[in-house]
Amino acid sequence: MLSSIVLRGAARCNAANLVKSVRLTPLKAYSTIVANTQRQALAKPLALTKSLVPIAKREISVSAPRMASASSNHTGLWTIERIVSAGLLAVIPAAFIAPSQIMDALLAVSVVIHTHWGVEAMVVDYLRPAVVGNILPKVAHIALIIISVASLGGLFYYIKNDVGLANGIKRFWSIKGKESA
Amino acid sequence: MLVNEARQILSRASSLAARHQLRAISNSSQLEQQAQPKESQAPQIKKFEIYRWNPDNAGEKPYMQTYEINMRECGPMVLDALIKIKNEMDPTLTFRRSCREGICGSCAMNIGGTNTLACISKIDATSSKPLKVYPLPHMYVVRDLVPDMNNFYEQYKNIQPWLQRKNEAGEKKGKAQYLQSVEDRSKLDGLYECILCACCSTSCPSYWWNAEKYLGPAVLMQAYRWIIDSRDEMTVERLSKLKDPFSVYRCHTIMNCTRTCPKGLNPGRAIAEIKKLLSGLASKPAPKLETAALHK
Repeated sequence: MLSSIVLRGAARCNAANLVKSVRLTPLKAYSTIVANTQRQALAKPLALTKSLVPIAKREISVSAPRMASASSNHTGLWTIERIVSAGLLAVIPAAFIAPSQIMDALLAVSVVIHTHWGVEAMVVDYLRPAVVGNILPKVAHIALIIISVASLGGLFYYIKNDVGLANGIKRFWSIKGKESA
Repeated sequence: MLVNEARQILSRASSLAARHQLRAISNSSQLEQQAQPKESQAPQIKKFEIYRWNPDNAGEKPYMQTYEINMRECGPMVLDALIKIKNEMDPTLTFRRSCREGICGSCAMNIGGTNTLACISKIDATSSKPLKVYPLPHMYVVRDLVPDMNNFYEQYKNIQPWLQRKNEAGEKKGKAQYLQSVEDRSKLDGLYECILCACCSTSCPSYWWNAEKYLGPAVLMQAYRWIIDSRDEMTVERLSKLKDPFSVYRCHTIMNCTRTCPKGLNPGRAIAEIKKLLSGLASKPAPKLETAALHK
């Protein structure tokens, strides 16, 4: 009696196992198929986006530094920019407190270069080749350099041959209307 | 004896009376509670204007679709409203969501003009103005409120967000812990909490204009998280990858990132710290504890 029960139990177990194994094998196969397709799907969109680049005009790079001219080092320039920005806090008042040609020259150089870097950042940010084409950004950048150099040259000329920068600005402030004069 | 019995009877009677009274009070209060919502069932309608775009409808332009929701039957957060719309009104509305508690970063979107997580931003039910919901700004839209995050994730991958050691052979992984002092560990606070929802990056104008070259605040903060980790030894290599004019230096300290971060983190500070490390104005301090001491 007992043995028969045990046997039956075993048989049942076996049957259950069989059913399970029958079910499991196709399920496993299915799951692997799904997993494989998912893996492919995960790998493929990247390949797709890459191949679609010319059609969709998507300028997305896989690695930022590679696309951003990794060879060039911007840290030195950034440091000088900060030094000039901080230096302006001292140079501007100093040039007005003690007007001299040297201080005027220092003021002219630091103000012009500071402005140049600011406008350059705007040109780089807003005149992007992806938006305005390849020519305009270069034209704008060259024009900016010309303007900066010309204004610096003009200021130097004024400092050398006239009353000087700080004195000139002071005179502007001392201009009064006809009634009060 | 008699006195005692009388006392007991009295006390029983009084307690019974008290119980009856209590029951009566609780019953009446229950009734009132049941009655109150019925009285205040007047619907409180809130309008939601949601950005819709389906790539399957060829040539169709994106448009704003208005949904009206009775706030009395809706949860308090924007995500509750979106789920309600999807379940009950329009199953075609598409958006990402997962944890519904601000820890997964899936439901990042532009709500009422601010990049935030739908699951933790409360609906102002009292305002009669419609609430506008857009996908994260300046991202390619896959559908409705689902932006294409591939570029963002590629950039994150690019900074190699994992612990890197020079002596990989000598320090067998999983054999022993790396040591880090409490002080060194505290430097990671405010950095590791980032859930990469991309709210900050997509609020940054520099990232809008140069997403393909500028890494953006979220990724840069994670870059800093690994640069400053006392256990990581690839600091110089990590920094040298960021030296070009675009990866970091397109940050103009606009600080939209810090303002919008739904987790209250400060990516702007992290970028400034990277700039300081790059320029040499600051340097990474030596680890307070010998990191690989237990591997010896």
